[in-house]
Amino acid sequence: MGGVASVGERLAPVVEMHQRPTIEKSSTAVADKVVIQNLDHHFGNGLHAVSDFSLTIEPGEFVSIVGPSGCGKTTVLNLLAGLFPVSSGTISIFGSSPRAGRHDVAYMLARDSLFPWLTAAQNAEFGAEIRRMDRQSRKSRAQRLLEAVGLKGFADSYPKALSHGMRQRVALARTFCLESQLLLMDEPFGALDAQTKLQLEQVLLSLWTDERRTVVFITHDLSEAIALSDRVIVMSARPGRIIDDIRIDLPRPRSISALQKSADYHKLYSLVWTKLEMGLNHE
Amino acid sequence: MSDVATTRYRLAENTIIAISRLVFLAVFFGIWEYVSQNHIINPIFIGTPSEIVKFLWNGLFVEFTLERDLLWTIVSTFLAFAIGSAAGILTSLVFITWPAVEKFSDPLLSALNALPRIALAPLFLLWFGLGIWSKVALGASLTYFIVLSSAVAGIRGTNSDHLTLARTMGASQRQTFVRITLPNAVPTIFSGLRLGLIYALLGVIAGEIIAAQYGLGQQLSFLAGSFQISGVFAVLAILALLGTSLLWAMNKIESRLLRWQ
Repeated sequence: MGGVASVGERLAPVVEMHQRPTIEKSSTAVADKVVIQNLDHHFGNGLHAVSDFSLTIEPGEFVSIVGPSGCGKTTVLNLLAGLFPVSSGTISIFGSSPRAGRHDVAYMLARDSLFPWLTAAQNAEFGAEIRRMDRQSRKSRAQRLLEAVGLKGFADSYPKALSHGMRQRVALARTFCLESQLLLMDEPFGALDAQTKLQLEQVLLSLWTDERRTVVFITHDLSEAIALSDRVIVMSARPGRIIDDIRIDLPRPRSISALQKSADYHKLYSLVWTKLEMGLNHE
Repeated sequence: MSDVATTRYRLAENTIIAISRLVFLAVFFGIWEYVSQNHIINPIFIGTPSEIVKFLWNGLFVEFTLERDLLWTIVSTFLAFAIGSAAGILTSLVFITWPAVEKFSDPLLSALNALPRIALAPLFLLWFGLGIWSKVALGASLTYFIVLSSAVAGIRGTNSDHLTLARTMGASQRQTFVRITLPNAVPTIFSGLRLGLIYALLGVIAGEIIAAQYGLGQQLSFLAGSFQISGVFAVLAILALLGTSLLWAMNKIESRLLRWQ
């Protein structure tokens, strides 16, 4: 992971547009925030997935949503992504309602979902190409990102030749290659082994630190949520409600491996765990 | 070191297999020649290897009749394959674009597909004449359904994660189809095409056997009818070679096109 530290300089040309003026930090307008109010969602089969869910996410904030499986956290994310319509409550993303395909939102799935017929580089620039970013800048951006995720030299490899972890690195590069202010991530590291997971968390942190985009990160792994986030939202079992909104004040920049030995980190872990347990026993 | 050892072992193994194959064939043809020469079995039924070679030599390098027939068969097969697979792929696109059309025509097509196509040969002869086109029609009618069903399956089999991703990226319908659905369908379509090619050859040969002026099938039927069994075996050998080379070429194209697999 040697190359990760200096990503900042390499991505510099495209960073400006994601940096919001710092003076307005205290009084940011709705146009910069993601605001979810009284969200309630039933599926067609009567399944009550989400109940009375309200959340405001500040610009540049990294927010994780944790909860037992089936608690509706992915439903919240998919509603944010505009993959299905909001039936009750409101969602405002930077002042407008969610819609699949809007260019200020990027979505990343649990499975890498790389296209097997495209090389790593072609996969990395795929989204940008769909969004008609000009050829030259998307190529150089994809190349820089592949280096940033530690895949220098694998640009021309097809996914079949890459390991699970490497494929998810490409998927990270593809997501960050999109110039979207809001990143929605649905358990992107859920299928990886513990070691690879820690490495990729660090990669994600470095990428995020460089551009400070708003991230909504779904996971069932508490340690992952705490290590990455500014805030951890704990949800109850179905129908998912918010049990607590815990601020993670661990100093940044963070080192994932150093955190594993940090007392503050473990204190937060047991706090979040207690809340999560409350949600499980609530039924 | 162990790598070298494995390679050497493989090489030795392959050589042994190749040699045993040759030995087997030599023994097989030797016994055949012996049985036939000594009339243990009447050569009228089984021909004679030396006669087969003689026939091939004459047909290919002296009278050039086999090349002519081979050419007719190849041209008919390619026409049948091209027309049948193009029509199959076009139909699949129509089905994907307008599912109602598929719903409407499904039972009709199933019935047509279930019909033993060779039974249509007399009709095709009547409609398209004794020349090349009745054979092309027969071959194409076989290829068409195979390619159609594989193309529909391939296009339907798009990974739903890929489609979700395309939606969130804001891909247009056209972009989704050209950049995701189509490349994803290529392997399935290709296996349909490979099978379709073999069936095109089958249809053409069957058509030629029934009635034709030229072609390997016509030769086959003529030679068998006049008890030139060595000639029949010679034509069969050419057909086996033709089929094998068609498949080989198809595999080459496929591995070139699908090197990502």
